[in-house]
Amino acid sequence: MTTFIYIVLQLAVIILLAPLVNGIIKKVKALTQKRRGAPVLQMYFDLYKLLGKSSVVSEVTSWVFSAAPFIVFSSALTAALLVPVTTFVRPLAFPGDIIMLVYIFALGRFFMSLAALDAGGTFGGMGSSREAMISSLIEPSLLVSVFTVGLTFQSTSIDEIMRAMQGVGFPLLRPAFTLTFIAMFIIIIAETSRIPVDDPSTHLELTMVHEAMILEYSGRQLALMEFGAAIKQLVFMTLLVNLFLPHDQFIACPGIGGLALSLAIYVLKIIGLSVLIAAFEASTVKFRFFSIPNLAALSFILSFLGFLQFFVLGR
Amino acid sequence: MEKYLDVLSALILFSSFVLVANKRIISYIRTFQLQACLIALTAGIMGVDSFLAEGKYDILVVCLIIIILKVYYIPRLLHKTYASVEYKVEKDFFLNIPILIFFCCFLVLFAYFAVPTIGRAAEGNVNIQVINSFSLVLIGFFFMISRKKAIGQIVGFLVIENGIFITAMFSTHGMPFIVDVGVFIDLITAVLIMGIMVTRINDQFETIDINQLKNLRG
Repeated sequence: MTTFIYIVLQLAVIILLAPLVNGIIKKVKALTQKRRGAPVLQMYFDLYKLLGKSSVVSEVTSWVFSAAPFIVFSSALTAALLVPVTTFVRPLAFPGDIIMLVYIFALGRFFMSLAALDAGGTFGGMGSSREAMISSLIEPSLLVSVFTVGLTFQSTSIDEIMRAMQGVGFPLLRPAFTLTFIAMFIIIIAETSRIPVDDPSTHLELTMVHEAMILEYSGRQLALMEFGAAIKQLVFMTLLVNLFLPHDQFIACPGIGGLALSLAIYVLKIIGLSVLIAAFEASTVKFRFFSIPNLAALSFILSFLGFLQFFVLGR
Repeated sequence: MEKYLDVLSALILFSSFVLVANKRIISYIRTFQLQACLIALTAGIMGVDSFLAEGKYDILVVCLIIIILKVYYIPRLLHKTYASVEYKVEKDFFLNIPILIFFCCFLVLFAYFAVPTIGRAAEGNVNIQVINSFSLVLIGFFFMISRKKAIGQIVGFLVIENGIFITAMFSTHGMPFIVDVGVFIDLITAVLIMGIMVTRINDQFETIDINQLKNLRG
């Protein structure tokens, strides 16, 4: 029964909140450029419109092209089930799920790259080759940060790590976690195709990565792809805020009231992180493609230093 | 308080990595400014602590001097020097950046093994802070030898100085006031002289690329 409640709650929160995050980031960026910008709820309207349209599929494509949107979307939803938005309901937890999370995303990305190659367009091939490079650069640092956090608490289950983090109080006051936090922030920027790595608002052929891969899609399939990307972004942000800025230990009242309060604080944290990401995006420019290894190396070394500090301090 | 100092030492180390990862002269002057802010914050926390505990305010004065000198004056001076140099090709490092960052990581590893052998530094909480700040000195040295332009070398020198200062702060929690002030006067003289040197080198040879020094060989 609790598992059922957990699944419903988790999917409801993630699905309802995911497009809002994109809306907030776009709005803040528009405000920094002295524009009024699209309404915060714009992505809901877009998804609604796209879901009502039929999609055009090229004749030369194989089954991979039609299957990829479903695989991307469902892998994002599966990943959403693994990262609890609140620890008040007992989640679906098993040892090793934080490593599984990394590879569920890799599965979605693999099929997205294949589908981009499938249609045979130039942009698709370019986009997927770039995506493969970026993801292979980012994956080591993601895994090392995950291991740093996991080693500290002798666990590879997200739920256990989150509960242990709540016991710490303010994890950001430990040097190892501060460094890992910064590394994870860079990883989120790269994984969700934000500005120094990829520009989400461009359709200029020289710079696009994620947009190039979904260029062939239209209608419902496009809606699934974009929704999948938004959910993936929210899952990463949830992982970051719930690991490094835990709040459930401060909530005294149990039951429904505590759950509601916990969710409210969670939404506030996500909004805060969205504003932070938007500010970061607005204050920097897109890197040249061959400068991305610099960012990836920085992120890897930060998570590695976090790892070292854990071993030296032993705490 | 030790917790905050631990985190600040890690952040100062982080800023030095960002410095190594920077490509453009303007951006590493700015990162140096950020690092100076963090150091001023560290000194400020120590100053408030010593003021509340013992009623001494000399670390607060040192903090103020850092803000004026390193956060405001020296970056402005560097920007000015850079503006007066005509030769503005930005790429000025010998190896590519990921390799530089990995080298710096090895330097930090070296510090982890070297510092605990220095007697008292290995005790308790001081350990991690001294390791981080000592790595800053090493990274400063490395930054200096990895850049071709003279301004990069000035920034490297300043990072070494930051490292030495912050190591002293972390291991002693405040040196005698006269020592700190002496160090600052040395520093400002050095930067002024180097700034003038860069301008002169630029006037004389129309470049500040130190690779050109090879031409002096017989």
